[in-house]
Amino acid sequence: MRRRLSGWWWAALGAVGLPHDRWLSVPRLTRRAVKTAIWLGIGLALVAAFGVWKTAALAVAAVVALLVVPAWNRLPYGRFFVPLAVIGIVVAYPYYLGSLPQLPVFGPFPQISTMVVMMIFTMMALGLNFVVGYAGLLDLGYVAFYAMGAYMAGWFASNQFAKQHLNLGAVGLYPGWSGYHITIWLVLLMAGIATAIIGVLIGLPTLRLRGDYLAIVTLGFGEIMPQIARNGDNLFGTGFNLTNGTGGITPIDGPGFGNWAQAHLHLPANYLNASNFDSLYLWTSIVLVGITVFCSMRLRDSRVGRAWIAIREDETAAAAMGIPLMRTKTWAYATGAFFGGVAGAYYASYKSGAFPDDFFFNISVFILCMVILGGMGNIWGVIFGACFLAYLDREGLANVGAWINGHFHTNLNVPLYEFGIYGVIIVVVMLFRPEGLIPSQRRAAELHEGVHDDPLYEAETAGA
Amino acid sequence: MPTVAALLVALLLVWLAINLAKGPAYFTNIAFIGLTNGAVYALVALGYTLVYGILELINFAHGDVFMLGGLISATMISAVFGVTTKSSTGFLVLAIVCTLFIAMIGCGVLNAAIEFVAYRPLRGAPRLAPLITAIGMSFILENIAIGWKGPGYTALPNVLPKGDVFSAGGVTYTWEKLIVVLITAPVLAALVYLVQRTRQGKAMRATAQDRDAAAMMGINVNRTISFTFLIAGGLAGAGGLVYALYFGQLRYDSGYQLGLIAFTAAVLGGIGNLPGAVLGALCIGFIQAFNEGLRWHSPGSDWTESIVFSILILILVFRPEGLLGERTPEGG
Amino acid sequence: MPDELLQTLSLRKEFGGLVANNNVDFTVPRNAVVSLIGPNGAGKTTFFNMLTGVYKPTNGRVLFEGEDMTNKPPHAYTQRGVGRTFQNIRLFQNMTALENVLVGMHVRLKGNLFEAIARTPRVRREEVAARVRARELLEFSGLVRKDGVIGRNLSYGDQRRLEVARALATQPKLLLLDEPTAGMNPQETAEFTTFVSRLREELKLSVLLIEHDMRVVMGVSDRVTVLDYGEKIAEGPPEAIQKDERVIEAYLGAAAVKA
Repeated sequence: MRRRLSGWWWAALGAVGLPHDRWLSVPRLTRRAVKTAIWLGIGLALVAAFGVWKTAALAVAAVVALLVVPAWNRLPYGRFFVPLAVIGIVVAYPYYLGSLPQLPVFGPFPQISTMVVMMIFTMMALGLNFVVGYAGLLDLGYVAFYAMGAYMAGWFASNQFAKQHLNLGAVGLYPGWSGYHITIWLVLLMAGIATAIIGVLIGLPTLRLRGDYLAIVTLGFGEIMPQIARNGDNLFGTGFNLTNGTGGITPIDGPGFGNWAQAHLHLPANYLNASNFDSLYLWTSIVLVGITVFCSMRLRDSRVGRAWIAIREDETAAAAMGIPLMRTKTWAYATGAFFGGVAGAYYASYKSGAFPDDFFFNISVFILCMVILGGMGNIWGVIFGACFLAYLDREGLANVGAWINGHFHTNLNVPLYEFGIYGVIIVVVMLFRPEGLIPSQRRAAELHEGVHDDPLYEAETAGA
Repeated sequence: MPTVAALLVALLLVWLAINLAKGPAYFTNIAFIGLTNGAVYALVALGYTLVYGILELINFAHGDVFMLGGLISATMISAVFGVTTKSSTGFLVLAIVCTLFIAMIGCGVLNAAIEFVAYRPLRGAPRLAPLITAIGMSFILENIAIGWKGPGYTALPNVLPKGDVFSAGGVTYTWEKLIVVLITAPVLAALVYLVQRTRQGKAMRATAQDRDAAAMMGINVNRTISFTFLIAGGLAGAGGLVYALYFGQLRYDSGYQLGLIAFTAAVLGGIGNLPGAVLGALCIGFIQAFNEGLRWHSPGSDWTESIVFSILILILVFRPEGLLGERTPEGG
Repeated sequence: MPDELLQTLSLRKEFGGLVANNNVDFTVPRNAVVSLIGPNGAGKTTFFNMLTGVYKPTNGRVLFEGEDMTNKPPHAYTQRGVGRTFQNIRLFQNMTALENVLVGMHVRLKGNLFEAIARTPRVRREEVAARVRARELLEFSGLVRKDGVIGRNLSYGDQRRLEVARALATQPKLLLLDEPTAGMNPQETAEFTTFVSRLREELKLSVLLIEHDMRVVMGVSDRVTVLDYGEKIAEGPPEAIQKDERVIEAYLGAAAVKA
């Protein structure tokens, strides 16, 4: 795609009498400025032609920003500009959402509640990216970690265990409460740690398996976990109600900082009582995503991250360089699980419930599709893939479907085919652009040139 | 580890023995159900094993090919042939045989087409790439089924005779169960003949052993792989027909669950090993039937999937070569 | 501390029914260059893989500095000080030369997951020092100003050199080189021979070499061991090996000896 675009670009340059080498001798910043001006012109021409001022202005701004991104890197601290700008735009989103125009085809901009879900799925996708993108281990049961996180929130922030009575900083309790009520902030951390431990327990026996076997084993765990959740209201016939069966655990406490913090620091006492409930959840989730991105970047550029990538590229050579395969893979798995667990607990708090029917195989593939679409191993690609697909899931497909039906007088139920569409995305991306929309340079090369991925039979059985 | 495994198997046998002692006739009836389930699983498990043997690819979409085979069969039997419960036996046999061929050919061609579109371009890519497209294909096929039949169950009339083949001392064997075996057995026999005795089968075995060497010996590897997918799809089509006839209803996601169970069966028997797949399928069929049917301390149908997947995980972790497979020889 | 850096005791390896190595007793002294030669299929690479933990021996033991290493995983060997290269180059093809060397330093660095996230001063210092050291190693191996080049884009000779640099980054006491001059032209081979001598003299390493080029073998080795059909058939200084009848027979067939 990119190559074809630049082909047209060369052809256009030739047509106006500017051969390759002359153009390339122009300073880089000037070239970029010219390109930007051309794109601006095209955008403005579109505006003039169709009179869709507001939408076109947005599109032009986006295009200009994208083209200018690499230029920012040349300024001191310039590389922080674009991420900060994006964060600023998202944080302020609830305030200007009302004044945003309708988009063509996609309709209105996503609601704040949709944005919250997009952020939560971004976090999960980034978590899966540790496993699939960095360490190259295909995990088809990631939903198990999400479920584990959600049930951790269910156990430690609801009335689930009626015989217990413990309040540790929880907000918004009604008289007559029972069970464990620990503040969500702590529950998020507990969920992450518990899920990471589960990840290690699952990983230790299975991570020595070859890639495709590992995928199937993780899928098996992903199927067993929700079944335990569904049947966990009477475990082994003992009458012990762990998960409340198909009814799920609900309600779950919301986050909050308590009355003291509200009075003195102007922090919300209880999200659930606040009028801007969704916005509070959105801002909190931005912080969580920020932490995830931060950890992703730090780890990628560290000794551990290099070891993950080395294993992905060539397991035998990595072992010969002294990288303990099992331990390093288990760390990747646990790290991915940690963020999946935190995201699951946060989502459970947002939905105020943990329900077994939320944890189907579909969700694992949904999250995997986000990672693949965006670009395995690339943080920005994964964020884009997660936001886009989560948006499609919540609103986009319905909007697009309505547009199609309105314009072509059809009667398609587009959201019904959601997973078929994801299937097409997966197949098309893997066949034509396996590195995803925003690839990491290295992963792109691997997927095109191939890697040594024949496993190391004996060393694996030797363990670590 | 071997002692723990032996202990588990011993406990399982004790459990079976006590159940047998408590009601021999009942136990036998449950075993017949297991045998019938196993026959259906065998048809699907063989497809997994054939494809894995030749490409080392877990064809995730295989279960969905099976499901489409079931839907094709249901449509043929009830809509095209218009078979009802009152149809004569002769017409019923004719309709089933015709449907069998149509479902087998349809699914075979579909499976080969999937290979051509989704897997062939990825030869030489990292091993996980075709597995990922297979998952994508699986979802596409499910949505084709939704588009065709809607998300609800497609039912077909109860056309198989319900009478007893024999009944003695509380043990009954019904015609419908026998018919499942009667359809399955010749298909399996044909497969064995094909793989063991024909030129094409020899090419398949050679390609499975060493693709490069086979190519150097003048075997058209791509055609052999297509042929393997054709056969695997045909088996899935036959499985779909049997499933539709025996269970009477199916929908877009029937293939996902059954596919995973059948894959477990293939792994249990030793993936890549044809007799192993049949053995594994029968084992899984029995395990499922006993778990759901037996009365004394059985976990029950709520836990069937968990049990099957636990078996899958345990086998892959502790004995990846399965019951009949041999350890993968490593290169020098 | 024993004189022998590496020692194997009647090492044996079977694949199915095939015996790849049989009863090989073998030693590598400190600060020596030892070559392992033999006809194709003599079991040299299998033997190598047992010395680095990639294969588990069917029988026998591997001792490194007197410690029993049999059945230890590959990373344990690297940790104790066994570095290696591969017959068919196995660089991390999509990493830069510098990153390849940094991966090689894995066992000598300490930063764990949590320190990496917090980027503690210790990790920061460690990473800076590692990069300096990596550049030195690249330079030592003859890869000046190549640290930003992706492994796949290096020339064949440079890839071989990078593999050695990567192995040196593990700070080995014993370096195993599997056919390092395969595919090199005579000039590159001569340079490489000098390089091996430098390894011993400047870094005080022991080197174990699998090699087909007899000029390299005779030029740098203190001792040569000959494998044939998985068994050791001769061992000694290069001059003696050249004259050994069994060796000539193994290479050229019995007729050549009689003639």
